[in-house]
Amino acid sequence: MWSTIKALIIKELRQSLRDPMMIRLIFVMPIIQLFVLGYAINTDVKDIYTVVYDFDRSEMSREYVRSLSAGNYFNIRPVEFPVLNIDHGFRENDYTAALIIPNDFSNDMNRKKQPVVGLMVDGSNANSAAIALGYAGLITGQFNQRATGLSSPLILRQKKLYNPEAESVYFMIPGLITIMLTMITILLTSMAIVREREIGTLEQLMVTPIKKHELLLGKTIPFAIIGFMEMTVGLIIGLLWFKIPFVGSPILFYILAFIFQITALGIGIFISTISKTQQQAMFYGWFFTIFGIMTSGLFTPIENMPILIQRLTYLNPLRYFIKIIRAIMMKGATLQNLYPETAALIIFGLVIFSFAWMRFSKRVE
Amino acid sequence: MEYAVTIDKLSKDFGRFRAVDEISLTVQKGEIFGFLGANGAGKTTAIRMLCGLLLPTSGLGTVNGFDIFKESEKIKKSIGYMSQKFSLYSDLTGRENLEFYGSIYHIPNGRLKERIAELARNLDIEEFIDRKAESLPTGWRQRLALAASLLHRPPILFLDEPTGGVDPVFRRRFWEILYRLADEGVTLFVTTHYMDEAEFCRRISIMHRGRIVEIGNPQELIKKHHQPDLQELFINLISKSEQNV
Repeated sequence: MWSTIKALIIKELRQSLRDPMMIRLIFVMPIIQLFVLGYAINTDVKDIYTVVYDFDRSEMSREYVRSLSAGNYFNIRPVEFPVLNIDHGFRENDYTAALIIPNDFSNDMNRKKQPVVGLMVDGSNANSAAIALGYAGLITGQFNQRATGLSSPLILRQKKLYNPEAESVYFMIPGLITIMLTMITILLTSMAIVREREIGTLEQLMVTPIKKHELLLGKTIPFAIIGFMEMTVGLIIGLLWFKIPFVGSPILFYILAFIFQITALGIGIFISTISKTQQQAMFYGWFFTIFGIMTSGLFTPIENMPILIQRLTYLNPLRYFIKIIRAIMMKGATLQNLYPETAALIIFGLVIFSFAWMRFSKRVE
Repeated sequence: MEYAVTIDKLSKDFGRFRAVDEISLTVQKGEIFGFLGANGAGKTTAIRMLCGLLLPTSGLGTVNGFDIFKESEKIKKSIGYMSQKFSLYSDLTGRENLEFYGSIYHIPNGRLKERIAELARNLDIEEFIDRKAESLPTGWRQRLALAASLLHRPPILFLDEPTGGVDPVFRRRFWEILYRLADEGVTLFVTTHYMDEAEFCRRISIMHRGRIVEIGNPQELIKKHHQPDLQELFINLISKSEQNV
């Protein structure tokens, strides 16, 4: 049995590593992906371009604007009167926020009459709009305290653990590594089988006494190996270039990644059983990967999704793996901390892989 | 009399389409059997059923004494199969292809090397065996594919249009090899569109629309139907059958 599987693995690796297109696909593309996306996908909100209409023009109002511009959050641009066409600037993307200070600001402040200032933000990017409003609220609260000299009865002291600078790159790189691992495993496995079907070599293989399990193992192990190589390349770049921390156990990480791969390999085989051409396999592969990524909690927190979708994400193996990879890398989680996620991955792997196994047939119809 | 292939009222349906319609025939051991027919007559479907690639819908059949319904994996051990499409890996060299298939057939390493050398000599593929298959002309590739299907010394060989798209010189050389194999006792089950090749066969069957319309020795069939040659016989039988539909 093993000599047959070995022969298949050698053949498969020979074909993959001899093809310069495949080398680019397997190693160069992910590196570019990691470098570009590692910087591009930045969820930090800084430098919010803000125009200020200060009708009061008092010491007090200038003090308020200064407090807003402290820190890198708001990038303030004072504007002369009158308030013409605020819309226009939003539409032209000149600024994403507009602050309006009424002319009785300092008077009201001095007479303790609770003045009102207005802040408009561009809601077309819902994420940064919410964050801008949050910053402004916080800064205004601090300003109130200073101006009135009253101290609030309750003080909330905040601290970010594991990623104190809240660097989104720490958060993104493990996710990107997951995407690479998933995509390469699903696509290579499904395409390798469908390609052989397309060019007719699968038929030749199927008239030999090769056993189904030999064929399937011989067709999956090479891509598990390639997936692991790629994950390792991604990890090395993450650690050395992006200087992301790796607090937990690399061995545990690789074991769980392997369990996750069983699911991806199963999906790959399944796709190969429903695809006639490589294009079809490619599209199915994309569908599974994109769907998986979008509902994995990588880009948008699962807690923000509607309840129904949240429940649906439990069916997404990526959801568990992303949680695992982040927990191990950044928080040093151990297996005891990750029992439910690990159990979920094992169940997914068994179910999906055996389902694909049953569907795969040594006949041609 | 020992038979390499027996089939009795064998049929295959794809949905409502009947691709093979109750065909019956026997092939003796060591015989060259020509399996002729118009395009789309169901030849490839029939061969695929015999090789265990397709499950028949109804009928009976044996290959090397093994039942085609229940013992397809045993059949696969004892046959060689070469299809009309070149079905080796074109990005591997000839030798790599042969070594790969040798391992699939569980031929031990030492014996495999000898076998490859022997086939390379007999099939005259030595000069290009270490080149990538994609760089070879069709005639050479076909000899390479034949070598792959002979690695495990199968007693019967199924050849589905082995010489399609090959020039006459290469075809002649290919058939010389087939003759040698037949002399060694290998049964050959061949489909072809070339009538000169069909004349080399000891017996032929002619298929049309899923049915076998005639079967027998080529010379005897020519006499029986009063035709000048095999080509005329073939055209005559097909058009007769067409009128009966």
